[in-house]
Amino acid sequence: MTNASIPSAVPSQKGRPALELFRVRHIPDSVESRPSSAVVAEPTSINPPGSKRYYFLLMAPAILVLAFISIYPFFWMIYMSLHDVDIGKIEWNNFANYLKLPNDTRYIMGWLLLIQYSAMCLFLQIVIGVFLAVALNGSRFEKVLVTTLLMPMMMAPLVAGMVWYFLYNGTFGWYHWLLQSLGILGPKSILASANTAMIGIVLVDVWQWTPLITLITLAGLKRVPQDQLEANMVDGASAIRNFVSVTLPNLYPVLLIAIMLRFMDNFRFIDSILVLTGGGPGNATKILPVYLFEVSFKFFKLGRGAAIAFTLLIVTIILGMILVRVFERGQPKKG
Amino acid sequence: MASREVIEYETGVSKAFNVFAAVFIAFYVVWTVLPIFIMFMSSFKDLLEAFKLPEVGDWAGVKVFFEFTPTTKHYYELFANLGFSTYLFNSLVAAGGSAVVSVVLGSMCAYSLSRIDFRGKKDLFFWIISTRMAPVVAVMVPLYWIFRELELVGTLPGLILAYTTFNLPFAIWILKGFFDNVPYAIEEAQMVDGATRLQAFRAILPLVAPGIGAFVVLCILFAWNDYLFAAIIGSGGAKTLPAATRELVQPQNIQWGQIMAAGVVTTLPMMFLGLVIRKYLVTGLTMGAVKE
Repeated sequence: MTNASIPSAVPSQKGRPALELFRVRHIPDSVESRPSSAVVAEPTSINPPGSKRYYFLLMAPAILVLAFISIYPFFWMIYMSLHDVDIGKIEWNNFANYLKLPNDTRYIMGWLLLIQYSAMCLFLQIVIGVFLAVALNGSRFEKVLVTTLLMPMMMAPLVAGMVWYFLYNGTFGWYHWLLQSLGILGPKSILASANTAMIGIVLVDVWQWTPLITLITLAGLKRVPQDQLEANMVDGASAIRNFVSVTLPNLYPVLLIAIMLRFMDNFRFIDSILVLTGGGPGNATKILPVYLFEVSFKFFKLGRGAAIAFTLLIVTIILGMILVRVFERGQPKKG
Repeated sequence: MASREVIEYETGVSKAFNVFAAVFIAFYVVWTVLPIFIMFMSSFKDLLEAFKLPEVGDWAGVKVFFEFTPTTKHYYELFANLGFSTYLFNSLVAAGGSAVVSVVLGSMCAYSLSRIDFRGKKDLFFWIISTRMAPVVAVMVPLYWIFRELELVGTLPGLILAYTTFNLPFAIWILKGFFDNVPYAIEEAQMVDGATRLQAFRAILPLVAPGIGAFVVLCILFAWNDYLFAAIIGSGGAKTLPAATRELVQPQNIQWGQIMAAGVVTTLPMMFLGLVIRKYLVTGLTMGAVKE
């Protein structure tokens, strides 16, 4: 964007010092309500080195516990994934668990469905969540409304799944009745047909977690530098123009964090899907974690399960690396 | 807003936007509250009343939703005959226990991490955070095997340890941010006055206490709402509320009234806690990346 495209009320660079002389300083009533782009230096918390032993001792219990419940199982997972694991016997099987994976259509489908599921959830949550935040921002009832929106997030995903299963039910579910009355759906429940089951489970995730995106966006909106918005408006930019060129770029970092967090949660939690469809009908909603759950804890093929779990974990760790980068960029630098 | 000097002009577009936004918000609030409302109402309905539904397209028939005689028999049934008091106790112990373990160990670790620098600190930190982000199902496969060998499956200590897999890294990650904001000078001053290191550490705890309190609550919330660990690691002897709720679903004759009542019992305490720590909720749910 060039400067020429914005009609400017301020004289060119040369005129600036002169203008400075006449500027009237205005101190707003509450400075906090007008965040600006200024950076505040933070106090240092780092101890000058020399006494590390004490700190390492304090750290040890947590690290040991964490090692026992994460590193030790991680190696067990690799070990299990290379063996046939059954109650009472563990047999080496020449990488069979891994070699079978590329030919396992349900495994491949699991990945594709996971991507499809996450993409649908994220798209709806971002669009609805951001719009809701913009609509709520500065509204008279913002506090009350936000508190109301929090409710689904506090619910156990399993309970949420149960309630929605009840609502979707083909014979006595209120939402099924509503969808039928609106002519959107036939007599078959949304979860009962392979074409719509995915939409059914996505809607539950959207119901439960869109408010998180709204909250994150609201927090981001409060940090949009008001001085930039005002300067732009004085220059004659429209509200929409302002939103696109000032607000959105400022929201981008928090939105990225929100997207990553939700994306990883879609990998992590399958409680509601287990209740709603259990992966069915057929395999229409059998996203990879659900498939993994089935292989490991329904058929108790723990070796195979470990191989699938290992691939899933590797992908998550890579995603986590990206997320940590995003986090670090999102936070103001110290010192 | 006396100091506001920017005038926002009302244009046709902005008026239209405001109307649309108001309608959208209203619609969204209804969509959010309705399932919870239906859950709540259905938990007070007798079985047949919960199944009452108007004919398709009969919009006036919605009133049958409100035509029922409230009964608390589902709640009575849950606690008197279905052992929900035990499950409630299990939930409390498992969630509370893991929260306390996580926050005590976590605050010690976070404090140290925030005070010293060493080689590999970044890698250590990444390992801690990736533990938290690992998919629960994937972690559970080896953990189940290990816990079975140690005979921890179906016991409360096993469940507490299982919940610690995601609560401890969370506590470390979040609390480090808190300790980072406490300047070292405070401890230094304490130690100049003759306090030992441990006393100095204890002296700054009150400064971070509100935050620590809030994150104990968040850890409880995460553990309380978990189902997967409860279903596999806790199966048998350490059934928690979500696992017990799930087991109310029988192939025949699903007791929806009881299920909804169990849902209310599971949900209400957490909604209350959520309100209590409202201020820290966004920070907690975004792993400290976003602050309100």
